[in-house]
Amino acid sequence: MILRSLLLRQGRFALPRSTLIRPFRRYLASQIEETYTNPHQHQQFIAGADGDATKSQAATSLSAESEVLDNDPVALNYALQQHSKAVTGKIGSMVEPHYRPHELLSNPPSPKDITLELLMASQSHIGHSTSLWHPANAKYIFGVRGEDGHPIHIISLDVTAAHLRRACKVVSGVTERGGLVLFVGSREGQARCVVNAASMSKGCHLFTKWIPGTITNGQQILGKCKKKVVNHKDEEVKGFEDQLIQKAAVKPDLVVCLNPLENYVLLHECALNNIPTVGIVDTDVNPTWITYPIPANDDSLRCVQLIAGVLGRAGQEGQAVRRELALTGQLPARQDHGLEPPAEQETDERNSRDKEHGRNLLQAGDV
Amino acid sequence: MESPLLRTAFRRAIVACQNPAKRRVGLQPRRYFATPVDAQGGRDDIQAAPPIRFTSEDDQFSQTRPRAELITNDTFARGGRGGGRERGGGGGGDQEVDYRQLLRRIRVVPASPSYFTATPRYTDDLLHLSSLLRKHQLLPMVMPGEAPRVAWKTIDQYKTELAEPIRSKSYNTLLQLLKRLNYIHPSLMPQEITDALEKYKRDVQPHLNVPNPIVVNEYGVAKAVGRRKSSTAQVYIVEGTGECLVNGKSLTEYFGRLHDRESAIWALKATQRIDKYNIWALASGGGTTGQAEAITLGLAKALMAHEPDLKPALRRAGCVTRNPKRVERKKPGKLKARKMPAWVKR
Repeated sequence: MILRSLLLRQGRFALPRSTLIRPFRRYLASQIEETYTNPHQHQQFIAGADGDATKSQAATSLSAESEVLDNDPVALNYALQQHSKAVTGKIGSMVEPHYRPHELLSNPPSPKDITLELLMASQSHIGHSTSLWHPANAKYIFGVRGEDGHPIHIISLDVTAAHLRRACKVVSGVTERGGLVLFVGSREGQARCVVNAASMSKGCHLFTKWIPGTITNGQQILGKCKKKVVNHKDEEVKGFEDQLIQKAAVKPDLVVCLNPLENYVLLHECALNNIPTVGIVDTDVNPTWITYPIPANDDSLRCVQLIAGVLGRAGQEGQAVRRELALTGQLPARQDHGLEPPAEQETDERNSRDKEHGRNLLQAGDV
Repeated sequence: MESPLLRTAFRRAIVACQNPAKRRVGLQPRRYFATPVDAQGGRDDIQAAPPIRFTSEDDQFSQTRPRAELITNDTFARGGRGGGRERGGGGGGDQEVDYRQLLRRIRVVPASPSYFTATPRYTDDLLHLSSLLRKHQLLPMVMPGEAPRVAWKTIDQYKTELAEPIRSKSYNTLLQLLKRLNYIHPSLMPQEITDALEKYKRDVQPHLNVPNPIVVNEYGVAKAVGRRKSSTAQVYIVEGTGECLVNGKSLTEYFGRLHDRESAIWALKATQRIDKYNIWALASGGGTTGQAEAITLGLAKALMAHEPDLKPALRRAGCVTRNPKRVERKKPGKLKARKMPAWVKR
């Protein structure tokens, strides 16, 4: 039996009745003790130690509330609620490790966790109706399933796994060499996974519409967006600001597109500029648009978040390798940045020279 | 009859005679010399041009000089003019090595991960607020009507601050987030959210501009101001016996018209308190009716300071609302504000 407190359920809005708030009367033990340990600690996706989090949350919230406003009944009630949750939350049945949607975003799996079971559970084998397919995808398709009226194509998961692992290699390879990866996913619900993947790979994200010409006409569209210069330790280096103003817009070194059907302009621009692309290729997508296709279901948010998470982890691993190598002195190939050393003394002298020149002009102009 | 060769030869001769540019001297293939022949003639050996002097040092081309040129701070600073300084030395050499190493290690990257959205600062703001909301979404909220009133920045103010092309739809999404964060119960509002919201509030919060409350001072006097048309009246009211002075004169002396006298103390008349309070009024501007009505309003406000529960009664009596009517200006083409000149058929 799972204990649930009514208070916990209805706690989102402030409870007006003060009769519910009795901070001095103890319903439960004040000490939080762990009476039962969960033997299934190890999960496929590492749990974020939720139990510990709530305990610490209750403690910190209690202390925090005492700082903020002791008198307010809402604050006291909330503190009590958190305390109760921490104490009683784990009492009852033991819940087996299971799929929790938020874990794909908070703690995504890494490339070594790719299994066919995982891909199938994420509905990545489900393709589109057979009448909507792109014949170039034939080699990725396992077969046809479904009722007579509406058969759909099923994507081969071993092919998916192989292509996904290859894509992970590409992403980690690019990040190892200091490249910039751009994650793009403009469908609803893809924003969070795109942002997470970009932050893990220290790349860029885009979850809104791609502005046509961002690469081919970068000077116009991205001209006002700021760039910076970083060293091998990813620390910003000052002194290049005036040179950066003249510099062309930055182009990504790899683009990961989670919905290629809507972003064909982006893929075309990448092809024009020799930028390799990684993308989720469903059965109705033209695979020739993408350099490293991943045949999978682009309509399932779970599948998309899984793939984005895995690629983000691959980027993270690449960044870690690059950082380690950089700290030991082994640098990747030099970027063709065309920058000159920042001449700080030169600017100071130039300023003083200009001032003098200005003064001279004034003197000349005075009648 | 003539051979084609002869025909061609004659044609060429005619062309050559007519067009001096097409004359071929000697019918020999032209040869262009690899190197231009000196006009003066005689010099067979080809000599190189004199060396370009980059610096003013005499030994810049000497063989014994080290082949690697040290790029010091000074050469960059002076633009290559002041090369006479000493090169090398411990400090200069290290700096030069630093610059080479630096150039080898640096790369140009976007300042924000939202670079390719073309509105990076807006996107970063949106993501920051979304993450705050996600973190604190389970905190108790107040009802929307009870949330603290905030004047958020207008889209134009926000756009000017960010200098980015932002659509109103995008800004409305941001506003929705701000309002939702504002609904968190004030007693549990985290400091980070308070700090984050401060940036989006207008500099001046108009609703904070509240008038000073009218209070009864230590002598039992309440002062209020009333206005009507172009008249202003300052009214002082204190508990007393029912005396009334307007600009130093009694009510009957100041207002010749009974209607004006009555309307001036209408607030007391409607609540049957004429004999309970003493009034001292200073009226200025406008005419008699305007001043009388101004005193009405001022008196009502001051009376509410003494007895706030009289407000519904005074409202029913018509003393609480400030009459906004003013004399309408005269317009061109009309005789008065509205009166038109007589219509003429032709």
